[in-house]
Amino acid sequence: MLLREVDYARPATVDEAIALLAEHDGARPLAGGQTLVNVMKARAASPDVLVDLAELEELRSIGFGSDGRLEIGAMVTYAQLVSSSEVEVARPILGEVAATIADVQVRNRGTIGGNVCVNDPTNHLPPLLVALDAHFTIRGADGERTVDASDFFQGVYLTAVGVGELLTKVSVPPAVSGTGDGFAAVTIGKHGTCIVDAAASISDEGGVGSTEPLESRGAGSADARAGAVRVVLGCVAPTPVRATTMEEGLAGAELSEAVVRGASEGLGATLDPPSDVHGSADYRRALAETLAVRAVLQAASRRTA
Amino acid sequence: MGTQPASSLAVSVAVNGEQIEEEVPARRLLVHFLRDDLGLTGTHVGCDTGNCGACTVHLNGEPVKSCMLLTVQVDGAALTTIEGLAPDGELTPLQRAFNEHHALQCGYCTPGMLMSASALLERNPHPSEDEVRVALQGNICRCTGYVNIVEAVVAAGRGSA
Amino acid sequence: MTTVTEQPTTLKRGYVGQSLPRREDKRLVQGQGTFFDDVRRHGMGYVHFVRSPYAHARILSIDVAKALELDGVYGTITGDEVAISTDPFFEMSVEPGGLIEDYALAVGRTRFMGEPVAAVCAATRELARDAADLVEVEYEPLPALVDGEEALKNEVVLHDDAGSNVVWSGVFSWGDVDQALAEADHVVKIERLHFHRFASTPLECAGALVEYDRGTQEWTIHCNHQMPGVGAIWMAPSLRVGIDKLRFVTQDIGGGFGNKICLHPQFVVLCLLARKLGRPVQWTEWRTDQHTANAHGNERTFLAVEVAVKADGEMTGFKVRAIDDCGAFPRYEPLGCIIWAQVTPGLYGWRNIQVDFTQVCTNKSPVSPNRGYSRMQHLWLTERIVDIVAAELGLDPVEVRKRNYVKAEQMPYETPNGCVYDSGDYAAALDLALDLIDYGSIEERRREAEGRGKLLGIGIGSTLDSGTNNFGQSTLLNPDLQFSGNNEAAAVKLDIFGEVVVTLGTVPQGQGHETTAAQVVADILGCPPEQVNVRRGHDTWFNTHAGFSGTYASQFAFTGLGAVKGAAELLREEMVQLAAFVLQAPEESIELAEGMARVKDGPEEAALPFMALGAIVNANNAFLPPDFNPTLNHRYVCRPYFGVVDTEKKTGQLTLTYATQIHAAVVEIDPDTGEVDIVDYAAVDDCGVRINPQIVEGQVHGATAHAIGAALSENFVYDEDGTLLTANFYDYHVPHALDMPPLKTGAMESPSPVAPLGAKGMGEGGGGGIHCLCAAIQDALRPAGKPIVYDSCNPPHRVWSMLRDPGSTRANVTVVSK
Repeated sequence: MLLREVDYARPATVDEAIALLAEHDGARPLAGGQTLVNVMKARAASPDVLVDLAELEELRSIGFGSDGRLEIGAMVTYAQLVSSSEVEVARPILGEVAATIADVQVRNRGTIGGNVCVNDPTNHLPPLLVALDAHFTIRGADGERTVDASDFFQGVYLTAVGVGELLTKVSVPPAVSGTGDGFAAVTIGKHGTCIVDAAASISDEGGVGSTEPLESRGAGSADARAGAVRVVLGCVAPTPVRATTMEEGLAGAELSEAVVRGASEGLGATLDPPSDVHGSADYRRALAETLAVRAVLQAASRRTA
Repeated sequence: MGTQPASSLAVSVAVNGEQIEEEVPARRLLVHFLRDDLGLTGTHVGCDTGNCGACTVHLNGEPVKSCMLLTVQVDGAALTTIEGLAPDGELTPLQRAFNEHHALQCGYCTPGMLMSASALLERNPHPSEDEVRVALQGNICRCTGYVNIVEAVVAAGRGSA
Repeated sequence: MTTVTEQPTTLKRGYVGQSLPRREDKRLVQGQGTFFDDVRRHGMGYVHFVRSPYAHARILSIDVAKALELDGVYGTITGDEVAISTDPFFEMSVEPGGLIEDYALAVGRTRFMGEPVAAVCAATRELARDAADLVEVEYEPLPALVDGEEALKNEVVLHDDAGSNVVWSGVFSWGDVDQALAEADHVVKIERLHFHRFASTPLECAGALVEYDRGTQEWTIHCNHQMPGVGAIWMAPSLRVGIDKLRFVTQDIGGGFGNKICLHPQFVVLCLLARKLGRPVQWTEWRTDQHTANAHGNERTFLAVEVAVKADGEMTGFKVRAIDDCGAFPRYEPLGCIIWAQVTPGLYGWRNIQVDFTQVCTNKSPVSPNRGYSRMQHLWLTERIVDIVAAELGLDPVEVRKRNYVKAEQMPYETPNGCVYDSGDYAAALDLALDLIDYGSIEERRREAEGRGKLLGIGIGSTLDSGTNNFGQSTLLNPDLQFSGNNEAAAVKLDIFGEVVVTLGTVPQGQGHETTAAQVVADILGCPPEQVNVRRGHDTWFNTHAGFSGTYASQFAFTGLGAVKGAAELLREEMVQLAAFVLQAPEESIELAEGMARVKDGPEEAALPFMALGAIVNANNAFLPPDFNPTLNHRYVCRPYFGVVDTEKKTGQLTLTYATQIHAAVVEIDPDTGEVDIVDYAAVDDCGVRINPQIVEGQVHGATAHAIGAALSENFVYDEDGTLLTANFYDYHVPHALDMPPLKTGAMESPSPVAPLGAKGMGEGGGGGIHCLCAAIQDALRPAGKPIVYDSCNPPHRVWSMLRDPGSTRANVTVVSK
C-alpha cells in the first residue's frame, strides 16, 4: 500500500518526456496510473523515475487522419472514449467496451495508452484493437514509427514500445458499410476483470469495407456473406490470439449461428490457457469457443447497412 | 512542476476551496496526504488495490480514487473531499436522503458513496436506478447491500429526499 | 420494497417500533465519524508487521540491524522478545488442543502465510514499510498442510506442544439415529459436502493506536475490537498484568461481522512496543493482511451423511461426520465445535441426530467468528440435506419443508439437545417468501427461460439466527472452563439540565445502537428521543461494561437493550419517587410524559420538567430527608437466565432467542458459461418485536449481500503451498452495486416470550442466501443430468463443471429404499 521512494517529473512536451525516459534507466511513463500506482503499492515493481504525461495535450485528442482512420491520442481516458461523438460515429464498439471497464472513477483516469502498453492478458482493449486492425504510433528520439497490432503486443506486460519511447496514438479504420464489431466476455462480477474475452470484427470483401450499400448485394445484414472476419481471444495467452482457423472458416461465409458454431469447433484445443482460481484451462478453452461465437454473431447482427 | 525528476516537490492545490501549498514526497499517495497531512480524515482507506472506492474525492469535479493518485499529480488542480460537500454544516439534499432512507450503517463507505453520487447528480440530476448503480459500481459497501443507497440517490434525484 | 405481515403483540409501543432515522448519520454523512485511524497523538510511531512468506517454516534467525539503521525508525520487536515478555494466550480447548502455545508473534516457527514474525515502528507509515523490507529473516520451509482431512493423519504436525493437529473432537448423539435409520423407508446417503472459507471483510480494516502511561503502567487502546471484554481476558494474563491495566476505547467502527474479535495478538505487540519505545504506536491493517492473516470463517467438510426418511416424507434423523478446519491457531475456537448445536435440527423436527465433530489445525489463516458463526455451516448442511432428499426421492421441496418444519403451535419448542426455540412460524414465513417471488409462475418462467437458452431454477433457504449466547456451552467442550451465562451493562442518568445520558457496554459497528437505545429509553421515561444522549462506543474506563461486553452473536436487542431497559426503569422509578415527594402526591398518581413528571390529570402546576429533577438532586438537595437519597444515575446488568448445561449428555439451553429468516431465489444459468444470474429474490425476517423496522430491514439487506457474495464468488482459496490466491478485492470478488439482484423483503413479528422487549437479536441470518442459491442452482441444473450441489461456493467455473460432468457429483449420493 505504501510506495518505495521514487522521483517524479512532469514534462511539458512529448519530446521532453521522451528525453526523460531515455535519460533515466528505471524511468516509466505515468498515464492514468490505474495500474501502475497499484503495482507500485504492492511493490511488485518500483520504477526509479515516473514521467507524468498529464501535461501532454497533444496526446489527448480524438480525430480523423487524412486516411480516414479514427485517431485516438494515447492519453485519452476510457471516460472520453465513452462520451466521444467521434468514437460513437466511427467505431462505437470502443466506447461500449470502455464503458464496461471497472467503474466511473477508474474510467475518469485510465487511458487507452496505459491499457495497451501494460498489455495485461486480461485487459479488454488489446484483443479488441487487434480485431479492429489497429495501428500504434510510437515516438522515440529517432522519430515516429507506426506498428500494426500483431507486432505491437509482444508478451505479458511487453509491447513494441521500447526504452526511451512513447506510444502517442492508436488508430483504427472507421466502420464503413458492411462493418460490424462484437465483444463478449465472462468477467469476475459485473464489469470486473475478464476471465476470457473475445472480440470480432467483420468487414466486406477486401477487408476494409465496400462503399456499396449492403441491400444491393441482395441479402439482409445477418445473413450476408462476410468478407474478412477477425476473431481475437484474450486472457488465454500472453498476447491476444487470432483464431485463424475460425477466421478462415468464416471468410466469405453466411454467418448463421450453425455456421459460426461449426467454425469455432476445435478452437479450444489449439489454446493453452492458464489455470487459476477463476477457472481451469479446460474451462477457459470452452469459454473461448463460446465467446468467439457470441462475438461473431454480435458483429454480424450489427453490420451497418 | 519542473521537468527534472525530484523525490520531493512543492505542490499547490485547492482543497475544498482553500489553497494549500506543501512540500510533499513524490511517493505519498493523495489519500494519505489528505488524511495525515491535512487532517481531512473523512476520506477513508478500505483496500490496497484501488477496488473499494472509500477514498473517492473529486478532482476538478470528477470522481477519482485518491489511493490511486500521487499527491504530486494534483499540483495545480482543485479537489473536493467529503468535508467540502456541506462546509457550513447544513446537509445537502443528498446527505439528508441518505439519512431518511437508512443508506448507511457503519458509515465507512459513506463519504466515498456521497462523492460518487454527488458527481452523478451534477451531471444527471434525475438518474434512474440503473444509472445510479453504474455510478456507484466503484464503491464497495459491506453493510447495506446497496439497496437503500440506490433508493436514497434516486430519491435525491427526484427531489423527494 | 417491503410487504409486512404483523402479528399482534401486547407490548405498548411509542418510539419503539418506529423507523426513526438514525442520529449516528449526521456525523457519518459529513465524514466526521471518528474511526481509530483518524486518531492522532503527538510523537506517535507507525507500525508495520514483517510477515511470513511461507505457509509453514522454521524461523532460523531474524536480524533487525539494517532496519534499525534507517533514519526515522524508532524500534523493532521479534518473536524471541515476545516469548520472554509475555505468556502464551489462554487456550479454551482440552488436551491436546489446549496445549497449543499461541504468542503475539511467531516464535521459532511460522504456521501460515502472512503470519506476523516481527514488527517495525517508525516516524511515518512509509518509513515503517521501508524498514520492514530491511528486516532479514532466515526461514527453513516445511511441508505445508492445507487440507483438513489430511490434517487428521498427523503426518505434518503444526504444534509440537500439542503433538496432534486435532484441536478438539467429540461425538454428539441425541435420540437413537441408528434405530431411526433402521426403521426408515429410505436412507439417503451423501458422501461429502463442503462449506467453504470466506469472511465478511468489513471495509475498515483492523487496527489500533496504543498509548502506555509509564507512571500508572496502564495502556489505552483506541481500536475497533468488537468484543473488548474478551480481548482483555486474553491480553491481560499474556502481558502479565491485571485486567484494569487495559483500557479499550472504541468510537466509530467500519463494520465488524465477527472479523474484529481476534485482534489480541497484534494488539499485544502494540502494547509491548508502546512500552518499549515510550511513545504511542499505531497500526493499520492493510486489506491484503486482513484477507491473508486475520479472520476467515470456519471451513467445514461434512462426510458420510445418512438421513432417515419415512415414506410420507417425514425425516426422522440424520448422522454426519464433520471436520472443521480452523486454520493455524484456534484462538476463539473450539467454541465453533458447540455453537452449531444451538440449531442442531435446523428448522426441522428431527429427534435423532448424531454429529461426530473434529476440529483441526492447518497452515491457513486462523478463523474468527464470522457472521452466522458455526450455525450457518450447520444450517447449510440441514438445508442441503432437505433439498437433496427432496430431489432424490422426487418430493416437492416446499412440501418437504412444511411437513418437517417445527410448527408454530409447537413453540416454544425444545430440540433434542435441550435448546428452546422461543417463537416463530416457519411455514408462514416460507409462504410469504414464495409469494414475494411469485412462486406460482415458476414453471411458466422456466419454459420461457428455456426458450432463451437459459436454465431457470428456484431455491429456498431456511435459517435461524440464534442469539444471546450461553457461554456455559463452552463447558460442553472443556468441563474445566469457568465460563457460563452472559451479560451486558448499561447506565442511564438524568443530568443537571434535564438531559438523559446513556452509556453502553456494546460496541456497535453500524447497527444503530445509539438510535435504538434512545427509542427504548424515550418510551420508558416519557420524553422525546432527542432528549436522550447515547454515548457512542465502548470505553472501559468511562462507559459502563461487563465481562462479556461487545457486539456479536445477535444479542444486542436482548442483552444490550435489556440492560438499557433495566437501567431506564430504575431511573424512572426514582424519578417518580422524587416527583411524588416534591409534588406531595402519591407515587401511583405520577406519570412521566412529554419530558415532564406530573400528576396524572392534575393541575398544570403539578408538573416538574426533567431539568427540575436533575437540578434538585445535583445542586439543590438539602431539603430532601436523610433517608431518601436519589442518585438519578443507575447501572443495570442484564443477565439472561439459562440454567446449567449437562456436560455429560451435552444438552442445555445454549442460546435464548431464535430469529427466523426464509430466503427464496430464482436464478437463470447460462449453460455455456456457468454464469448464474439472480432474477428474483426475497428474504423474510422474523425477529420478534422490531425496535426500528428500517434498521432491521437494513440488516437483512446486508446479510443477504454477504450471502450472495459467498455463494457465487467469495472464496479464500489456497494452493498446495499454502499461498492464499484471493488476497485482494480483484480476486476475492464481493458484490458491487451492479451485482445485486432486485431484493424483496418481508417481515413478520413473533415476539420472543423470553426477551425483555420481545425483541430477538438479529443480523446474522443471511446464511439463508447461501442455502437458497445452492438450492436454486441445483434446481436449475436438473434437466442437465441432476448434478448435486456439494459446495457452498458456486462460481461460474464450478457450475460449468457440474453441467459438464453431473455424474461425478451424483456419485456422491446413494438412496437405499425398503
